Amino acid sequence: MIRHVEGTGILHRIHPLTAFGLAVSISTSVFVAPPPLGPVAVLAGTVILAVVSRLPSALGRTVVVSVPFWGFLLLIHGLLRHDPGRAVVIGSRVSTVILVFAAVVTAVQPARLVDALAALRAPFSVGYVFSATLLVVPRLRDRARAISEAQQCRGLRVAGSPLGRIRAVVPLTVPLVLSALSEVDERAVALATRGVGGRAVRTVLHPPNAGGLDVAMGILGVGILVGSFFWRVG
Amino acid sequence: MTAIEVAGLGYTHPGSDQPALADLDVSIPAGRVTLVTGRLGAGCSTLLEILAGVAPRLTGGTLTGTVRVLGVDPSTREGGRTLVGRVVMLLPTPSSQLSGMTSTVRDEVAFGPANLGWDRQRIARVVDGELDRLGIAGLADRDPATLSGGELQRVILAGCLAMEPEVLLLDEPAAELDPPMAERLYALLPELTATTVVLATTDVDRASPHVQEVVVLDGGGVVAAGSPSEALGQEAVVGLDAGSTVARIVYEAGGRGRLPIDVAGVREWIAS
Amino acid sequence: MTGIQLHDVHFAYGARPVLCGVSGQCGPGEVVGLTGPNGAGKTTLTRLLMALEHPGAGRVEIGGRCTDGLGPADLADQVGYVFQHAGRQFFSRTVLADVAFGLRQLGWTAARAGAAANAALAEVDATRMAGMHPHDLSPADHKRIALAAALAVDPSVLILDEPTQGMDRPGMLRAAAVIRRRKASGTAVLLVTHDMAMLAECADRVWHLEEGHLVLDAPAPGLLRDPELLHRHGFTEPAQVAVGRTAVRAGEPAPIRLADVVSAVRDRLRSPPAPTAG
Repeated sequence: MIRHVEGTGILHRIHPLTAFGLAVSISTSVFVAPPPLGPVAVLAGTVILAVVSRLPSALGRTVVVSVPFWGFLLLIHGLLRHDPGRAVVIGSRVSTVILVFAAVVTAVQPARLVDALAALRAPFSVGYVFSATLLVVPRLRDRARAISEAQQCRGLRVAGSPLGRIRAVVPLTVPLVLSALSEVDERAVALATRGVGGRAVRTVLHPPNAGGLDVAMGILGVGILVGSFFWRVG
Repeated sequence: MTAIEVAGLGYTHPGSDQPALADLDVSIPAGRVTLVTGRLGAGCSTLLEILAGVAPRLTGGTLTGTVRVLGVDPSTREGGRTLVGRVVMLLPTPSSQLSGMTSTVRDEVAFGPANLGWDRQRIARVVDGELDRLGIAGLADRDPATLSGGELQRVILAGCLAMEPEVLLLDEPAAELDPPMAERLYALLPELTATTVVLATTDVDRASPHVQEVVVLDGGGVVAAGSPSEALGQEAVVGLDAGSTVARIVYEAGGRGRLPIDVAGVREWIAS
Repeated sequence: MTGIQLHDVHFAYGARPVLCGVSGQCGPGEVVGLTGPNGAGKTTLTRLLMALEHPGAGRVEIGGRCTDGLGPADLADQVGYVFQHAGRQFFSRTVLADVAFGLRQLGWTAARAGAAANAALAEVDATRMAGMHPHDLSPADHKRIALAAALAVDPSVLILDEPTQGMDRPGMLRAAAVIRRRKASGTAVLLVTHDMAMLAECADRVWHLEEGHLVLDAPAPGLLRDPELLHRHGFTEPAQVAVGRTAVRAGEPAPIRLADVVSAVRDRLRSPPAPTAG
């Protein structure tokens, strides 16, 4: 699954909000740029950006998710409706959005994002929601594995017949949901007793700096969006 | 000097028909270590949640009677905000206390002080101090998510102490620790002379040598209060089988009156 | 031989060695306490026994079978395993249904599973909880119900990871009584615990792990009566044993189980020894 990976690429070094801004800009551009070539071009550009930013895991994950999706699209639009161009357009859009957000989630450290939001005097809850969202997948995955093991030790078989797998869903998901909910409660209590909710303005421990690279990426993001717009209307 | 005053306290958990605490009166002295204990379900954790301002504001439920922590009522919104950072609580499970918003142990310890708005130099000073006190300076640059349970609990405790709280509440803090580490944690508490420490645990044998006052709860009310030998040696308390193992043994062997709570006391008892 | 057999077991998580050449046996009707600092490899060892992991080298045998090629569901008919955080597995609307869940997975009929589940709940003195929702219970009761679920299948081997953590003394004594009863009927029990009083109540032998090595495999009474040996391995003497030593005359072996210590103290209180001459 997608989680933060240490690195030194461009997306790692810029201000977290610049990275998110870039992600939003590229995601919008891929819908603005005129089909059939526009989305493909944006996708190609995003792939290049991911490669230059040294994010092989984000690329890898995107490919893994995209291949079955593209196959499905080509089947529907290519074979059944004789319009493969449409498949390429839709596929490019979906893959671009997945790739750019995977890249940002991989590159941006949750702690830095929280500091960036705190530096902007955003309320604590905003930073918390961001970091909790980024953390939720690995935590749920660990919890799901613990539950699966416990049920297997009681005789549940998780591999095997499709009917068996369907029957395994309830004993695996119900405890997961229940424990996720109770963990939210526990965490709320723990945070309340660690200084959250007071009147003070939160100190930013590591103020993020925006430098020349941020300006460049900002220009790039704006440029891609504006360029796509002009391509469409031109 | 009293840090905490509770009078006629009653509390019922949301959705429950039985009160968890009923007509509870207790005074907790400032600057000392007080053990709150009892059988499971006696209400010790609930009492701590109320003192921390967590119940009923975060958890729901109904509260009656009066509670004053450092002169303030923690159950009101204003009172709760006043006490932020001055009253701090450590829970049994380290992993659910992680903020999830930091990538190093140093930042995790700094999380509390940062929430209090202190300047970075002051934060750096207290963080270094607490890392040294808890013996975890070597872990300062590690990712908290990679630590073991024992290391993590020390990090969270360091984070609580870094806020320089006036009241430190600990709810079964050694639950996930092995005995040597639990012993070290309890031994640390009397050294916090500037802080009022309230420790809730059933681990009475190990914790009681390090505390100065004991409050025993049963059925939501106070059964005994006083020094460890006074409170834990009372027949009423020993009869509950919630306190000292030594006292319980002597009681079951037929002993009555003020019972011994440690082995030296048993020798004296037998000799007399 | 059935029960548990470990032959020179090695295990590593990636590059980090966790168990280094662990060997030992726990036969039918034996209770072995597994102790050691956190991180020493205790839980890993139980996971190997339940075929949740497989050894890098060496053999793990449980209930007469080698774990190679097996998974935990293959062992569930013979081995009862109670996890340290026992509350995670519950999902049914009633405690009874959850305890019976494992039995139904193994193909037992509803009637047979229900009867066994009720019997197991009675064994841990939790019959009154049968109709309750598992998530309304306290963590200590979660452990009790998880123990019932493990007992319901009438296992030949029981593996318990910190079964008394967070319990008060009556709860611990009840769990110890259950283990002693099962031991008497021939179950092999491996008990991971820090609780010295629990070891005193029901362990026959103690395995002590330090950094992946089994540094001690000794009879429990001998260990508990030897303050120097206890200290060397970082144990604290359980309060009841210390009291027991005080109550008996010099040269007599100290009682270890709570009931025996109480008897010794009672005898001592009734008839103090004659004052020694000179």
